[in-house]
Amino acid sequence: MTRSTKARLAAVLAVAVGALWVGPCVWMLVTSLKPLAEIVRDPTALPTSFTLSAYREVFALVPVARQTLVTVFVAATIACVQIALALPAGYALAKLRFRGRRVAWMLVLSCLLVPEQVTFVPVFLMLAKAGLVNTLAALIVPFAASAFGIFLVRQALDAVPDELIEAARLDGASEGVIVYRILAPLVAPTLVAFGLVSFVFHYNDYFWPLVMTTDDSVRTLPLGVALLREPGTGVRWHVVMAGSVVLSLPMLALFAALQKHLLRGTGGD
Amino acid sequence: MLKAQARFHPWAMLSPSLGLLLVFVLVPLALAAWQSFFAWDLLTPAVPVGLGNFRALAESGALLGTAGRTLAFSALVVSGATVTGLALALLLDRPGALFAWVRSSIFAAYVVSWVAVALLWLWLLDGDVGIVGVSLRAFGLPRVGFLTEPALVVPTLAAVTTWKIAGYAMIVFQAGLRAIPASVLEAAALDGASGFVRLRSMTLPLLAPTTAFVATTSLVVSFQAFDVIRIMTQGGPAHASELFVYAIYEQFFMNLSVGRASALAVVFFALLLALSAAELRAFELRGRTRRERSLP
Amino acid sequence: MTAVDSYRTLHPRSDVVNYTRHIVPSRVNRRSLLLALSGAPLPLASSCASPERRERRVVTLWYSYGGKNREVLTELVARFNRSQGDILVEATYQGDYYEALAKLRTAVAARVAPTLSHVVVEVLPYLAETRALEPLDEYPGARELGLVHSLAQAGAFASGDARPLYGIPFNRSIPVTYLNSELFEAERLDAPTTWAELVEAARRLTRRSAANPRWGFGVPISWWFWVAMTAQAGGELVGPGGETTFGGEAGAKALAFLQRLVHDERVMRLPAGRDYNAWQVTNQDFIAGRVAMTWMSTAFLRYIEENARFRVRTAPLPGDVRRAVPTGGTFFVMLASAPEPEKRAAWSFLRFMCATDQAVDWATRTGYLPVTDASVARLRDGGFFAKHPNDTVAQRDLANVLAWPWAPNLFRSQRDVLEPRLEEAVMKGRNAGALLREARELARRPW
Repeated sequence: MTRSTKARLAAVLAVAVGALWVGPCVWMLVTSLKPLAEIVRDPTALPTSFTLSAYREVFALVPVARQTLVTVFVAATIACVQIALALPAGYALAKLRFRGRRVAWMLVLSCLLVPEQVTFVPVFLMLAKAGLVNTLAALIVPFAASAFGIFLVRQALDAVPDELIEAARLDGASEGVIVYRILAPLVAPTLVAFGLVSFVFHYNDYFWPLVMTTDDSVRTLPLGVALLREPGTGVRWHVVMAGSVVLSLPMLALFAALQKHLLRGTGGD
Repeated sequence: MLKAQARFHPWAMLSPSLGLLLVFVLVPLALAAWQSFFAWDLLTPAVPVGLGNFRALAESGALLGTAGRTLAFSALVVSGATVTGLALALLLDRPGALFAWVRSSIFAAYVVSWVAVALLWLWLLDGDVGIVGVSLRAFGLPRVGFLTEPALVVPTLAAVTTWKIAGYAMIVFQAGLRAIPASVLEAAALDGASGFVRLRSMTLPLLAPTTAFVATTSLVVSFQAFDVIRIMTQGGPAHASELFVYAIYEQFFMNLSVGRASALAVVFFALLLALSAAELRAFELRGRTRRERSLP
Repeated sequence: MTAVDSYRTLHPRSDVVNYTRHIVPSRVNRRSLLLALSGAPLPLASSCASPERRERRVVTLWYSYGGKNREVLTELVARFNRSQGDILVEATYQGDYYEALAKLRTAVAARVAPTLSHVVVEVLPYLAETRALEPLDEYPGARELGLVHSLAQAGAFASGDARPLYGIPFNRSIPVTYLNSELFEAERLDAPTTWAELVEAARRLTRRSAANPRWGFGVPISWWFWVAMTAQAGGELVGPGGETTFGGEAGAKALAFLQRLVHDERVMRLPAGRDYNAWQVTNQDFIAGRVAMTWMSTAFLRYIEENARFRVRTAPLPGDVRRAVPTGGTFFVMLASAPEPEKRAAWSFLRFMCATDQAVDWATRTGYLPVTDASVARLRDGGFFAKHPNDTVAQRDLANVLAWPWAPNLFRSQRDVLEPRLEEAVMKGRNAGALLREARELARRPW
């Protein structure tokens, strides 16, 4: 096969593949703009008229601005704190020799795969005793340390040669300076990638806020939108789709803005 | 490995993280294990029942069933994400705006919330009004209950999950592909190796660590699947999509049974630990043999 | 020159150098981004202290249904808030009944429970026994509410009035048969009054066609409807000694009847989804004309009438050995953990909701039954029932209401033991008698 045929075939396949991912999103958008009567009558037809009524409903039923703010704040805080704590922890595990290193490492590893659904009952009761249920603290503090983050930082720092650190120590740098000012930039791609993954994960977290919040004051957006799927009297798909669009837009905007950073961090273009 | 500058340094650096992990992960895990030996509904005093919860779960087939379904789902997602990610990376790792745009669209699905994706596919796969069903019927195919046939539910959910995380796998594989020096592949091409042979005997082995990473991440994601089940099928029909995490949620929230939920959580965690230990050992082994091979 | 620079000079080709070359330009940007994010000031207070809220006593109400019902409830709450200046009711939506109930229980355990909520009928005995609910008998006017007997705790539960008053009926309903008038007239059929007539009608109305199938009958495979069938077949959920019998033979007969309709007669298709999703699918099927006759709650009457493009008729459920219908919907409950002044304020709201104006409003705008004798009288005298024969059906069928046993493990039996088996039985065709025996065994367990 010649190179140009190959290229053309790749392009065709790329478009087909792209359609598989873009198609559903386009349909989501289209449905959110159709009036309810049309959806009930013929759900799969192309719309004959456009209306923003679904969006108006979403904003009426869900305090979007507030919930978005809460969600962004919570996710961003978690990501930042996780990075700030993972750096020294990863450094200690990767570079320092001390008794109990293996135990500490095992402890971190053992936390890696424990999902929030396994720990939520005792944590909930713990927070309840402290009077912290339905607060921002309940959403942030349990995630302040990330075993995954420590794992990644340790792996990344493993690749950094010891001589660099020795040289820095010779220069008189304290361990704090070494960790935050010398090593952090070196593993920045890892940190950025991890930070973004963590931010996205906690922004999109549905379960934890479901358990830990009880009213609209600290409710997060995924929870708010999920509640749009009100059972019983027929799903109002246009409202549900509009809610999904509203939920997705901040993330997509963030992605568009940070694409360069993220893709560079993982070696993409 | 370096010596610490002061004895307390390592622990000072580790204690905030370890403290938090202990308080919010390990101690709750231990508490959950403890709670599995009781029958408790939060409102009345707990009643010790020994292994009763485990026995009840085993007898009703819930334990085996949930484990089986979760493993099947995981297997589908891990293989799906790995193969799809690699295929997409190979196909789309070309210059040009079209390819960049398609890559971005695929990754965008990873970035948005599970809630949005689950609601979207719930709408698309709806048996009566979903566009997928309608299109299939337009081609004369019979009505398929993607979310209502017990046999189809787990593969459907696995497909939705794969659809969502393929973008991440693709990006990781792309990075892995870029890390392979072009010179190696060019040399092989000059030697007369065809594209396919190059792929199989050079690219794939070199991508082994990347593949391991993608496999591990998809394993973790698939084991933690909750949102997609909660929104799309609520564990139904007839428990066909009740995976571990959802089962734990159901036992706690719907059946008011903290003990039963904790028992499931204990088994779940044990399974996960076993799988991850196996994965780590396999990875270490591969790494060791690679290092041994590279020694002169 | 820093150590890093000196390192770089010594090792110009190492990966470290390449790494730093990549990221140095953005180091500053990233740092400041992180700093900015973490320091972002946010005007977030977990209690929006609006001046209104500070002056009035706040009562929190957790409610759990959406759509039309949500609209009406929030309107009534707003009306209450407007009608006086001392109390402010804050209503928060919590998801469906089961989600909301789960939240309520965990909130009680965490001591962050609301003042008021509403819970399904079957769980009232359980919550009462856990002392989570406030007994309401001594509140002013509790004995003079004039509630419809079969809808209030007194009539909805066996010897319900022998116990303290824990629940005030809120949205109460019974199942009725919904008929597609046009299809029934075309086949010259009337509403079935026995199970045999039901099968016959369903057979006549089922049309097997690949492109446009129609089923004669539809009902969600759900506890509520199975209880109705069991009672109609003559069974009791709980035996004389208080042990769960699940209707004994009658229960198995009811389950077998459902299996027969789906697998043998094939007049009913398997409804998809769980809990209220299954109800929703049944409603959609009926509205779209895919199913000619359904058993469904009277609560959806308004919704179905408004959305169907054909004339909708309702009829009482048929009987087998006898006629029987369970009541459904929820009761308002007050949480015992709330502070005294809040509880008194909440009681005013409950009395407001039981006032004739509100009861009438609620019933006519949704489809739920009017809960006070006064509201029933007003509707009758105002000609409402004459103009809305469908609403009258439910009203008349109240005579056949079956009382729930006051059993604390009723809810657990339903959710944990029976409902999963119902689904299983109908989907996989397992032996009804065996499954129910299994269920009885499990229900015997204390937890």
